[in-house]
Amino acid sequence: MAIDLKAIEQLATDQSSLKAAAGLAKPAKWSGVGASHDGALVWGECAGSGANPYRVMADLRDFGNKCTCPSRKFPCKHVLGLLWMKAEKVTPFAPADTPAWVSDWLGRRRAGAGTPKATPKAPANVAPAAAKDLRAAQQDEPEVEDPKDAARREAAAVKRSEDTERAILDALDALEQWIGDQLRMGLSAFIDDATARCRRIAARLVDGKAAVLAGRIDELPGRLLALPPGDRPRGAVVELGKLVLLARAFRTTPRDAEIRRAIAVAETREAVLANPQTLRANARWEVLAEQVQTRRDGLVSQTTWLLNLDASGPRFAMLLDFFPASVGRRGSVFTPGERFQGELAFYPSRQPLRALLVARADAADATNPEWPASEMALADTLTGPLLAEPWTIDIPVLLPTGRIALDDAGHPWWRSADGATTLPVAGDAEGLLCGTDLQRTAAIWSGNRLTILAAQTSWGRIGGHG
Amino acid sequence: MAEAIYDAMGAVLTRWTMGSAAAPAAAIWSAELGAEPAEAELRLLALSGQFLGVAVTAEPPPELRVLPDIPALVLPTVPETLRPLVRRILAAFKDTQSKAELLDFLAARGWTTHPAEWMPTANDDDAPDVYAPWRDWAGIAASNNVVQRQAGDRLTAENWEDFWPAARKVALAELRRRDPEAARTVLEAKLASENADVRLPLLSQLAAGLSEADIPFLEGIAASDRAPKVKALAASLLARLGQGTAVGDDIAELAGFFSVKMKGVLRRSRVIQFENVKTPAQVHRRAALLESADIASLARALSLSPQELVDAWNWDEDRHADAALTGLVARTGTDSLVAQTAEAVSQGDASFFLATLTPRLPSGHRSELAEKLLRMRSFSFDMAKTIAGGTARLDNPLTAPAGATLLAALRRDGVKPSDELTELFALGLIASRAAARQALEQLNGAGLLQGDPRLDMLRLNAALDDNGAKP
Repeated sequence: MAIDLKAIEQLATDQSSLKAAAGLAKPAKWSGVGASHDGALVWGECAGSGANPYRVMADLRDFGNKCTCPSRKFPCKHVLGLLWMKAEKVTPFAPADTPAWVSDWLGRRRAGAGTPKATPKAPANVAPAAAKDLRAAQQDEPEVEDPKDAARREAAAVKRSEDTERAILDALDALEQWIGDQLRMGLSAFIDDATARCRRIAARLVDGKAAVLAGRIDELPGRLLALPPGDRPRGAVVELGKLVLLARAFRTTPRDAEIRRAIAVAETREAVLANPQTLRANARWEVLAEQVQTRRDGLVSQTTWLLNLDASGPRFAMLLDFFPASVGRRGSVFTPGERFQGELAFYPSRQPLRALLVARADAADATNPEWPASEMALADTLTGPLLAEPWTIDIPVLLPTGRIALDDAGHPWWRSADGATTLPVAGDAEGLLCGTDLQRTAAIWSGNRLTILAAQTSWGRIGGHG
Repeated sequence: MAEAIYDAMGAVLTRWTMGSAAAPAAAIWSAELGAEPAEAELRLLALSGQFLGVAVTAEPPPELRVLPDIPALVLPTVPETLRPLVRRILAAFKDTQSKAELLDFLAARGWTTHPAEWMPTANDDDAPDVYAPWRDWAGIAASNNVVQRQAGDRLTAENWEDFWPAARKVALAELRRRDPEAARTVLEAKLASENADVRLPLLSQLAAGLSEADIPFLEGIAASDRAPKVKALAASLLARLGQGTAVGDDIAELAGFFSVKMKGVLRRSRVIQFENVKTPAQVHRRAALLESADIASLARALSLSPQELVDAWNWDEDRHADAALTGLVARTGTDSLVAQTAEAVSQGDASFFLATLTPRLPSGHRSELAEKLLRMRSFSFDMAKTIAGGTARLDNPLTAPAGATLLAALRRDGVKPSDELTELFALGLIASRAAARQALEQLNGAGLLQGDPRLDMLRLNAALDDNGAKP
């Protein structure tokens, strides 16, 4: 099924979309490009500004399309870029079985699938095709800059950075004051009123440019209330203690990228990729799980946990993206259990974990290798990261052979096969998770509870419970 | 050192919980905390938080219960490559009926679900027998019972307690097939000790191989069981043996609603005419009497045999009467009468009531009826699926009128992605593997994309090896 460039012009909402699409219509930006055997569907994954690639799909019969990016433009530049590559045969669209994520989208589509139309209809509020020009979009605009402007901009950036630092330090003073108040008023009262109190200090931190720390404090009540009531005072001390440690760490080294990332804002994708200290790992990865959480600050966090199946490089990677809840449901980027060969760039850190996906390809052998064995003693696995980064909340761990056991109240515990270690499991566990040996278990150790992401069993790989 | 810190933590936590200063209770860190009280509290908080987060984990209770391994079933789980399809179908069709049909389909083709996709609960009576070990596992998980039972080969009154409930029901069905007398003897000894929810499915096992030898036992149940449903089932089984318990006056009154006339000139035949149904009250009364009657008694009151009654019935004239009669036959008729009624019903509009009878028909007969109704009565695939269940293997269903209707519906303008979902699922369920492959080609030709999720059931059918026993 063919598509011509005229149709792409008509589909684009404006000239800037076309311009952006021109930059994306390059094979290097894409992976997993394919088309259905009947040629009606095309899809691909495009590297965006986030950690996860965007999944882009289009139906060439009626130009219905979908992209997992948070853009409010419809179609977005990624869809236009994909269609552009198809129209100009920039890259081969290998015929393949329709991936499940494309089928899922087909099942949810609102508009008329299966109704061939000669030309796509542009929405009424869209500028006519004549106002948009593909050729113009492809031309690079010359960038000439006055050296004085550059110097001025650099000076402004330094001043901005200093202002931000001062604002953060003021906000951290307020935070420590607030923590002291909570202790004075009693943790019992704090636990009862945690949501409102945390919201107030989080708002102050947002004003003080400590947005990441604000988000963390907004989610603190959720983590606290997930603990059994008897464990909440301990949990509150651990949570608030980490905040003190983080605040003190910032005061000591305010320019440390890792600490700044935990308090203010993460570096951009471009900055991470350009940083010579960035650790890159090209390995075979297995998608352990995807966690999507709507946060109190109105953002949705999408966390993809990956397991490195090779011997070298960090054992785990975490791809983290945020997007506004108002843009609606966003499709999953990966399917749990999926394996791929990929290059990841890790944000510079003492414990590299958060990463960006730079490039990916299908794993040559989807079944091998098996999950690696856990490399160190379990106690060290659980506590090691806390010695390097005491404010860490989530620690991914690979557990040796074990099994779920239940206490009298039905709460699950993970117990190692040798019986030496028994750890509480968050939430409930039921079905297969409780009825078979877990030969290897990938889990998050957080707040002294395990959240199981996935496990290998004699029944094959099984997903966790949360 | 750690012990001393640990000992201090109790007092520190208590003080902070209540809102008093805790630094004075942490003498072990006095040097680190310093003299300034507010600062000392924050430092103590940082140190305590790190200690409690790293060194203190919840103490497991001394007794933890480990559930037994989920047993392997006699049929394999679906191949790994098809698990995502099964998962998607289960997610798309959440209603109990569709799920049961998919499970029947898989079992009929010689497969089971993977336990990560679906497992029955202990009370999932509709799950195919092959899942009995998983039902019992779920029962063990829910019961706090750690005792493992070892089931013997053949069920007896002595080893009754060695079987978990679902396995016991399957063993009883097997015993009934091989040795009906022995199965009844076991029930005679053990049925009364079970609760009503268990007694009902156990007693229903007697429906297979029902004989006059069962009458005394069933009469005892019908007369004295504590549960009305169990009594009703025993009465229904007795009625199938010609031992209806209908009250004579009621039967006489019911017979008054029908008259037997002769019709035809050359070939004279009987025909039932409906009488005294001019008012809604009369219709209600007739329905109530039919609910408590049995077919043998009604036929006798009309001086007919049950077979003659069904033959003479004036189908398609009175829908309420048709529905009531099919219900009456399903409940109290012999197997052969059920088959005869199903054939009679399938000739006309009353075929809509066939679903009442199909649970009592063998799967091969159900498939034949579904095929016939698709061709002759223009049934939809969904209606054919209701008749055939999940175990049919129809060849070329798409060439039936329902196929033309479906293709036309998919080709019309403005069709939505969710349109014809039910029909496509039903088609995928009733088609043979070869027919499913053929249908996929035709539907792709009609404009449906290969990846269209509405085709999931057809795709599963087409991809799954058919290893099941053919009826």
